[in-house]
Amino acid sequence: MIDSSAAKAGDAVISIRGVSMSYSGRRVLDEVDLDVCRGEILVLLGGSGSGKTTLLKHVLGLAKPEAGSITINGVDITRCSQSELGAVRRRIGVAFQAGALFNSMSVEENVALPLRELTRLADSTIKLMAWMNLIAVGLSDAGSLYPPELSGGMRKRAAVARAMALDPEILILDEPSAGLDPIVSAGLDELILFLKRSFGITILVVTHELESAFHIADRVAMLYQGRLIAVDRKEQFTGNAHPRIRQFLDRQPDAMPRVAAEEFISTYLKGSTT
Amino acid sequence: MTFLEQVGRAAVVQVEDAGALTMQFWSVLRKLPRVLPVVGARRRWRSAVAQMFAIGASALPMSGAMALCTGFILALQSASELRKFGALELVVNLVALGFTRELGPLITALSVSGRSASAISAEIGTMVVTEEIDALRVMGLDPVEITLAPKYLAALITVPCLTILSTLCGIFAGYLFLAFSMEMSLRVYCQAVAETILLRDVGFMLVKSLVFATIIVHVGCLEGLRVRGGPEAVGHSTTAAVVKSTFLIILADLGATAIFYLMGWSATG
Repeated sequence: MIDSSAAKAGDAVISIRGVSMSYSGRRVLDEVDLDVCRGEILVLLGGSGSGKTTLLKHVLGLAKPEAGSITINGVDITRCSQSELGAVRRRIGVAFQAGALFNSMSVEENVALPLRELTRLADSTIKLMAWMNLIAVGLSDAGSLYPPELSGGMRKRAAVARAMALDPEILILDEPSAGLDPIVSAGLDELILFLKRSFGITILVVTHELESAFHIADRVAMLYQGRLIAVDRKEQFTGNAHPRIRQFLDRQPDAMPRVAAEEFISTYLKGSTT
Repeated sequence: MTFLEQVGRAAVVQVEDAGALTMQFWSVLRKLPRVLPVVGARRRWRSAVAQMFAIGASALPMSGAMALCTGFILALQSASELRKFGALELVVNLVALGFTRELGPLITALSVSGRSASAISAEIGTMVVTEEIDALRVMGLDPVEITLAPKYLAALITVPCLTILSTLCGIFAGYLFLAFSMEMSLRVYCQAVAETILLRDVGFMLVKSLVFATIIVHVGCLEGLRVRGGPEAVGHSTTAAVVKSTFLIILADLGATAIFYLMGWSATG
């Protein structure tokens, strides 16, 4: 799949080339090529089981692909040493789907954790920075709460605050609006746009929520059965004629299971009446 | 699938298991100095202390009570036979040796295994499911150093202490029995115990308890890290952690005792 917006090679912060992966014989990723350019918000769309979470794991260096390369800031993380990978990761902030906040620490301690562990800043400085990050995500009064006491939306905001703690160049968000009501979800979208506007960071969002995807995206990529079937600016993407994309955008169900279910029910009913 | 294939596959799984166990062990061992006070990071030591309370201090009532009961049972069971030979005072030797060499470490290990192997695997398993372990990795932090190493240190420190205390409880139970049945005084009893137990018995006890501690924390961590999928997998991992660690403790006990016997160390002076 050729990237139609033709990012210049120098522009790409993350560049994924021919990445393939299979689990127990099933192809989960099939020659995926994708560039994420500096300063843009790229939304990676895909249904359940389309391989988007797997692709994310590869970008984060949590899994190694069978083939292909992933270059982040000029370092191929599929082949680099552990310490190089560590250096690359320090420039990336990640907010996981369920937040992945540490339950034994308060929100403020969670946000301060990367600063405490990876910098030599004074305690008061760390506290201040953590607090500023909490203000940026709108959680300035929740710092002393513990993760189980937070609502779903607050947890995601806290996760974003922690991801922003080390002032990253790249922010990766896994399903930021999944499981949130429309109002909270819209608030999170605004937060993402605000972060892009005010810090100019590159943001990669993985989601299956169409509305929020098209609201925040500069470009949209779509994965289907491990293959990247489209990458485009969002204005062009909505006009894409690929049947799967149409199905996804128009929210049409898969035809097969329903027929099978109807057949099953009708034969079952026939069987029970005779 | 043929029988042969099944056997082969099972063998491969076992070998993989053993491999994973050793790999993790080395990676933790390398990180252990970071947890120590003074030379290591202060935060790690603090979390190790919290773990010591969880693994050690709060297990004390249970393993102490278990040892006390077992000591009494051992005395009761042996007394009826020994009385026939008019050698009731040999209960002292039996209880003292039995507890230092065998029952003290074993009972402690089994009670800690039931409490902490499950707790450790549940805690780490939950961290895997909620992507907390991944989050640590992605932040450039080492989950081995932050979550595993403090638990190892805590277990290695507290389990031997617990073992000493529950051994004392068991031996004290023997005294209770003899005080009631033949009005033996505490001074005489203590003297008899001191004459029976050699330093190498105590050493053997401590070595055993260190081995058991390692098994408990190691199996708990590994089962936790292996959790894949949702919360129900955490439940499976806790069961597996207790079953495996209990079995491995008995197996290690057998091995250690056999070596002790074959080296001729078990003869009493």
